[in-house]
Formats: sequence, structure tokens, C-alpha cells
Amino acid sequence: MQYDSIVIGAGISGMLAAIGRAEAGEQVLVLAKGHAATHWATGCIDLLDVGDGDPLAGVAALIAAQADHPYAIAGYAAIEPSLNRLREICDQGGYPLVGSPQRNLLLPTAAGALRPTCLVPVTMVAGDARQLPRTGSGEAPLLVVGFRELRDFFPPMIAANLQIQGFNAEGIYLTLPPLEGAADFTSTGFARLFEQPAFRAEVGTHLRRLVRDGGHQRIAMPAILGIQHAAQVVAELQAIAGAQIFEIPTPPPSVAGMRIYHILEQRLRTAGGRIQLGAYVQRGEAHGTRLEAVYSEAAAREQRHRANRFVLATGGIGGGGMRAIDANHLIETALRLPLRAPASRADWFFPDFLAQPGHPIFRSGVAVDTQLRPLDAKNQVVYTNVAVVGAAIAGCDHIREGAYEGVAVATGWVAGAR
Amino acid sequence: MQTISTDVLVIGGGATGSGALRDLAMRGIRAILVEKGDLTHGTTGRYHGLLHSGGRYVTKDPQSANECARENAILRRIMPHCIEDTSGFFVITPWDDPEYGDLFMANCRKTGVPVSELPLAEMRRREPALNPQIARAFEVADAAADSFLAAHTNVLAAREYGAQVLTYHTLIALLREGDQIVGAIVEDLRSGERKKIACAYVLNATGAWAGKVAALAGVKVTVLPGKGTLVAMNHRMVNTVINRCKLPSDGDIIVPVHSVAVIGTTDTFVPDPDFYGIEAEEVQFMLDEGEKLVPGFKQYRALRAWAGVRPLYKDQDVTNDRDLSRTYKLLDHAQRDGVEGMISLVGGKWTTYRLMAEDAVNVIAQRLGNTKPCRTAEETMPTPPFERRSVTIATEDGPTLHWLGKPLAAVEQTQAYNDLICECELVTRSRLQEAMASGASNIDDLRRMVRVGMGPCQGGWCVYRSSALLYEERSAKADPHTPFHIEYANAALLHFLQERWRGLIPVLWGDQLRQARLDELIFAGLLGIHRLRDHARQGGGLVTPE
Repeated sequence: MQYDSIVIGAGISGMLAAIGRAEAGEQVLVLAKGHAATHWATGCIDLLDVGDGDPLAGVAALIAAQADHPYAIAGYAAIEPSLNRLREICDQGGYPLVGSPQRNLLLPTAAGALRPTCLVPVTMVAGDARQLPRTGSGEAPLLVVGFRELRDFFPPMIAANLQIQGFNAEGIYLTLPPLEGAADFTSTGFARLFEQPAFRAEVGTHLRRLVRDGGHQRIAMPAILGIQHAAQVVAELQAIAGAQIFEIPTPPPSVAGMRIYHILEQRLRTAGGRIQLGAYVQRGEAHGTRLEAVYSEAAAREQRHRANRFVLATGGIGGGGMRAIDANHLIETALRLPLRAPASRADWFFPDFLAQPGHPIFRSGVAVDTQLRPLDAKNQVVYTNVAVVGAAIAGCDHIREGAYEGVAVATGWVAGAR
Repeated sequence: MQTISTDVLVIGGGATGSGALRDLAMRGIRAILVEKGDLTHGTTGRYHGLLHSGGRYVTKDPQSANECARENAILRRIMPHCIEDTSGFFVITPWDDPEYGDLFMANCRKTGVPVSELPLAEMRRREPALNPQIARAFEVADAAADSFLAAHTNVLAAREYGAQVLTYHTLIALLREGDQIVGAIVEDLRSGERKKIACAYVLNATGAWAGKVAALAGVKVTVLPGKGTLVAMNHRMVNTVINRCKLPSDGDIIVPVHSVAVIGTTDTFVPDPDFYGIEAEEVQFMLDEGEKLVPGFKQYRALRAWAGVRPLYKDQDVTNDRDLSRTYKLLDHAQRDGVEGMISLVGGKWTTYRLMAEDAVNVIAQRLGNTKPCRTAEETMPTPPFERRSVTIATEDGPTLHWLGKPLAAVEQTQAYNDLICECELVTRSRLQEAMASGASNIDDLRRMVRVGMGPCQGGWCVYRSSALLYEERSAKADPHTPFHIEYANAALLHFLQERWRGLIPVLWGDQLRQARLDELIFAGLLGIHRLRDHARQGGGLVTPE
């Protein structure tokens, strides 16, 4: 079958591009090796790390300073509409995103640091540092609540780190209500437990006792409070406990990110789009500057997928869209597009792991023109019918710039609108 | 200042120092060991973990070969729990001189290194991954040794005889009255407190650092720190130590250690044992060499590269490090420099630590008028409580080998999945807590004791968990006058991440590069650890001095 568009990659950028095109009436297929950064990252929408400042103004300054930055290619005009588009989709999925592109929120992490982000799910917004009780304010402490069975959330450490930053906080572990059968205590296993009304009622009752004894007005919990109905789960827990509750993202797998993925997936299917996971695209077939088909690895054979247009949303080195095949060579894995990367391995890394602004190798990617089309070393368009989106685009360290989701949303929306 | 009196002060908590401490204590000599880090913080903790058969030295260094062969048999007897009896092969590949085989056999016999030629069919049956073009194979008594466990074992045995150990104590000064060394000033790195140790004798067992220590006594000792780079691969592609049958050179040995295989080594002179780097080219070279032994070697994932510094003693002009003798030297400073009360032990190798200790203690005992004989070769040592041989399995052929399936089975049996703190090495929460209870004071100690952070993810998942648990454990048990601050845990976490990064840079490509990016997403993106840099402070016993 000949699709109108094939999107390679099922992260936020690919899914937004696919939804845009499917809702414009195209026949769309998403091919992905597996799940993407939604399942590893925070589930918040980071636009730019400007502390608790104005990220949109930061993006404008960045565009002025770096003409080949993915934000510059998507264009300033795309930033707000693309964020609004994602908000609208999440709203309709019953999982509203709140916040403003003009002011970052600072939210506690699972280590107790404060990280800036732009839009956050409604289940996390009560964690905004501006609202947390300060030491000496007379307010009851923030109660950080976890479960010993969850290996990726440590209330004592979180509370202690918040305390040294001037907040009044204490951390405790909750005894798990009795469970039937053996439970899976991963973050996703817990999220399924919180989907059960009886389980969350038990936890809520326990929280209410703690609130009654300690006068807490705010409770932090790991981001495991339900997966399909998280907003409802949190609202219900708040009602029972009698305090504001907010979630803190856990290390992967990210339940909060999965919620967004599920909403995007549902939206795409409703618009008639198809998704094929487990389809690892490893080569393309072109006629001149026109990509005709891509091939995915499947059981004991290759599958050929034809389309008029393609979107490359395979991510960076983390996502698997690029791979260093040895100590000196980086390749683009799906179509073997030319990459912009540091000239020599000596320039790949800094000696300090957490150095700012991040290791140069991770700014590598595909250079694109204003229509997101891939360019070669001489700035000639490689394929006229391919758009590159998200972390596959060169010129940005999405993690260290605090722009992971923002770039994906902006470029994915642009590709979907064309 | 607190003053501690003893007979002998041993400086250095590596193999030699801990071995000497045990020997002294067994002869009834009062002794204290000081070490600036954890036990085996220096070279002992950074070598490939080979119990030498002696085979590597039969041609160039026959004395070392003979010492190794004798000590090999002794160590197997006195600390069997520290040794994985992998056996060892010397193989002639198409890149090696086929003539060397006969010379090797002859020299093994001359130096007392047990050897037998192995039919090639038998070699292939036992190690199917080896290069099919190997022309000859010889079997020797090489084995894999756990040098960390061994140092703890020696210290445990020494303590039972009354010796004392001060880890995380750095040497500030050696006290000299005229031509006599009378003691030392040490500093407790955890509290900053200084202590005076008054003693009749100092044993300088600091290996590559021996020159620096001797200088504190005004004595010149020239040790050439020879950097040996090693690379851990994420697979035990062989269960036997594999050596190229040729004169020792770079990248010619693969040692299976726990769940990985280690290839080594290089040998480069470095001016200072505390400062050296590892180049990606060194790693590439060794992987290329590994390919000659095990085709496809380069396709395995390189986990980490690190280096140790050999303490090669220079008493003559030698241009090539590999030409320096691997045997050890006992420097009696009374005879050599006219300074009484101090002996330095330099050179040597892990396999001969006991013999080196015996020689040094013989001299000291004689000076102190102690006539008791050395018994360290006779008495079997106790097993430290944190060691559980749960990860080994007896194979059909007899030897007990490391097998990751064993702890997995234990985890499955006890349904402890949810308690796995380190998934790569299958370390459970309770195992970690036991290690903390038996003295692990920082994440690096935990790594050495239970191998957290040693697997493919290089700490991506377990380091956050370990530092949080360390904080919980230590803050709960801290006495109210010296509270345990969260800043210490933050510093430990940041420090460990940075140390891992150093070892990762030379091997970052393929999956390991992707993993590093995921680690960056977790620590910088999701946890924002770098935002806690201003809230990190060394202390509370979490120091790992450089």
C-alpha cells in the first residue's frame, strides 16, 4: 500500500507530525523500533532552561544567536501554536497540561533538586517551588511520601535536599495496603495499582491520617498515580487526604510520559493513522532526490513501506536515530543521511561528565533547510520529500539545553502542518 | 594530638601492606596499617585480577616466574575463597613466533612453572570462542583472583591476631630523630583529626607511591610508575585465562573476572602515579589484539577502561619499562641510606605479595629481636562476612566458576525482583545493606564489595539508589552530635558519576555511548543532580581521596 506519509519514530515529534497529517486527511503510517523518550523522560514539557525565567524570551534570543538551531528552523512563530496544539490534545485526553511559555516552573526532582520546566501535567503543578512551604514560614512541612517497594523514589533524600534549599519538608515511607497475589513494584506496576479504586482509597485514608496528625497542606508522591486516569486519581486522593498532592517524575520507565504517549496514540488512531511498533527502519530506497520507500527489519525478512512523503523522527544518539559504529564514526541509522558531528573524536567529550553546555557529540544530527529537509555537506537537499524533526536535527543538546520536548513539539507540529 | 604506640607502622592498604600486617600480627608483633583510601584503593584494586602461574615471565624474568609458581600454590591453599580456578592457556596465534612454543615449555620446566601441552581439540572443546587458527596451546595454573576480597581477608586475619587498621588516614609526615625513624603523623580524612603514631619500625608498602613516602623520611627511592590500561568487556567470552604465547606485550591477556572479561594491558611510563589519562587509541589497540585471540572480540561491548600503576623499581638505567624486573626489591634504608627504622618494598606483583611480606617482616622481626618464624603460608585465612559465594557454580570438569545465573536463581527463589538495586550485577537491597553494615563507607566501597555500578549501565540505575540508601542508613545511625548531612551523599553521588565518566570516555561508542546519553538524561535531565553541586560537600566518611 502506498501511504501519503510515513513517519519513522513514535516520540512526541513523530506523533505530532503524524497526527497533523492524519487530521489533514492523509493516510499515515508510523513505523517505530520501540517507544521513545516519552517513556524515559519526565513527562513535562521543557521549552528552555532559563531557570525560573521566561523561556519564550529565551527561545527568541537563542534563535537570534544561532540560525541553525532547531528552534530557529521551526521559527519563533511556531513555538506558541505548537505548544497550544499539544495542550489541546492533552486536554481532550483528560490530562491537561498547565503552565505558561512566559514563565518556567521549578519542580522538585526525585533527588530533591529543583528543575525548570514549562508545561506540566495537572498532576504535578502543585509542586511549583513558589508554592512550597519555606523554612521558618510557620507552615506545616511538605510531606514527601513514597513506598519502600518502589526502588526509584527516596523521600528522605528528597526532603533533606529540599531542606538545605530552604524548604520545610519531611520524607516518609508508606506501608503498602495488603495486596492480593504477587505484585510488580515497578513504576508501571504501581500505576496500575492506583487505577484500582480500592487501592487508592486505602492509600488516601492513610494520607488523611498523616495530614490530620501533621497539618500538612501539600504532599509529594512519585509519578505513579494512575496511568489512564491520572488526573482523576490525583483529584480523588486529594479529596480523601484533604491536602494538595503533586507527583514527582521517577527514573524510567516514566509513567507520566507514557500517559502523553497513550493520548497521542489514541488521537492518531482516531484520525485513521496506523502505528507499527517493532519496525526498525534500516534503509531507504530513492529515485534521485525522492525517497520512494523505506525498509524495516521484520521476522526473517525485510518489509518495504512506500509513501509519497516521509518524516524522520528517530531521535539522537539516545533515541537510536544516530549511532557511533566505532570510536570515530557516527551514522544516521534509518536512511544513512549525512550528519553534522564534531570533526574528531578528541572533540566529542568534556572531561567533566556534567559539564555545561554538554558534550559536543550530543549536538550532532542532520542539518536541515527551512522546510526541515535533510541537507548534505554542501547544503544540497538530499531528499525533497523527507522532513527531519525532533532530536534528529543537528545543532542542539536537547537534554542539557532543557529543550527536549519543546524542540520535538515545535518541529513535529511544523512537519504535521505541511 | 592523640598518640598511638605500636611496634610497626605499615603504610599502604594494598596486597603487600595487608599481607605484611597479617604476618607481623601472627608473629606477635604489634602493628598498625594506615591507608589513605579504602583497602586496595591503589594499584591492587586496579589490576586485571590474575593469579599468575609464572608463565608470562619464564623467559625474560625467570626469578619472577619461579616466585609466582611457588606462591600460586600457596595462595590457593590459604585463601581459596579469593580465587576462581579458571586455569590458563598460552596459545600461539598466527601473529606469534611458532618457535617460541618449545622455548616456552623448556623455560617453564627450568623455572618450576607447571605446564602441559594441550591438544588443540581439547582446547577448542573447552574454549570454543578461541581463534581456530591457533597452532599450539599450553595449559598452566593461572587463575582469577579477587584482590579486594583478598586484602580484606588478610586484614581480617590480622585483626584476629590483634593488628589495627586505619583506612581513610593519610600520611602527613614521617618523624625522624637523627638517623632513626620514630613514627608518623597521620590525618583522619573523615574528621580532619591528626594522630601521632609512635613506632619502632615503618614498613613502606605503598608501591608506586613508595618514592613519595620515602621522600618524607629524606630518603630517595626511584619508582617508575608504569601505567597499565585495562578494558572490561560485558561478556565472559572465555572461562579460562588466555595468554598469547610470546614475550609479554600490550593487549596479550584476557582474564575472566566475575561477570566480565578483562583484557590487558599496556605499559607506559607516567611521571606521577596520581595523574594519568587513558587514550581511545590504547583501547582500540587492545581490542584489535583481543580479536586475534577471540574472533569477534571487538563486537562485544566495552564497559569501561581503567589503569593501575605498577611499582617498577629502578636501580639501573633501563629504557623500556617491560625490561624492568617484575621481581620485588626490599630496600633496607639502614644499610642503603643510613636511616634506621624503615624498610621500603617496591616492585613485585600481586601474586607474590605474601612472599614480599615475609621477607620484609623477617628483617623487621630480627631487628626487633623477635624469633618467631613466618607462618603465613601454612594457615588458612577466614572469609569476610560480606562475601557470599553465591555467584559461583561447580562445573562438570571440577573448578568452581563464576556464573551470573546463580544469583538470578536466588533472586527468583526469594521473589526479590523488587529489591534489586543493581540489575546488572543482581545486587539486592539486603545485600547492599549488609555491605554498609560491614563497613562500606561510600559508593566506591560498595562497588568493590558487591559490584554495584560495574555492569553495562555503569551505575545509571543503581548509583542514585545506592546513594539514597547510603544516606538513609547513615543518617539513621548518626550520633546527634555529628549529624550526617545530605551534602555528603550528594558529593558521593557526584563523585562516583565523575569517576565512572573517566573510565567511560575511552570506550564510548555503539551501545555504550547510547547508554551514556541515557545516564545523562537520568542524572542531568530528570534528577537534576548538577543543580545540587552547591549542596555537595565532602565528609561524613564518604571521602574518596585522590
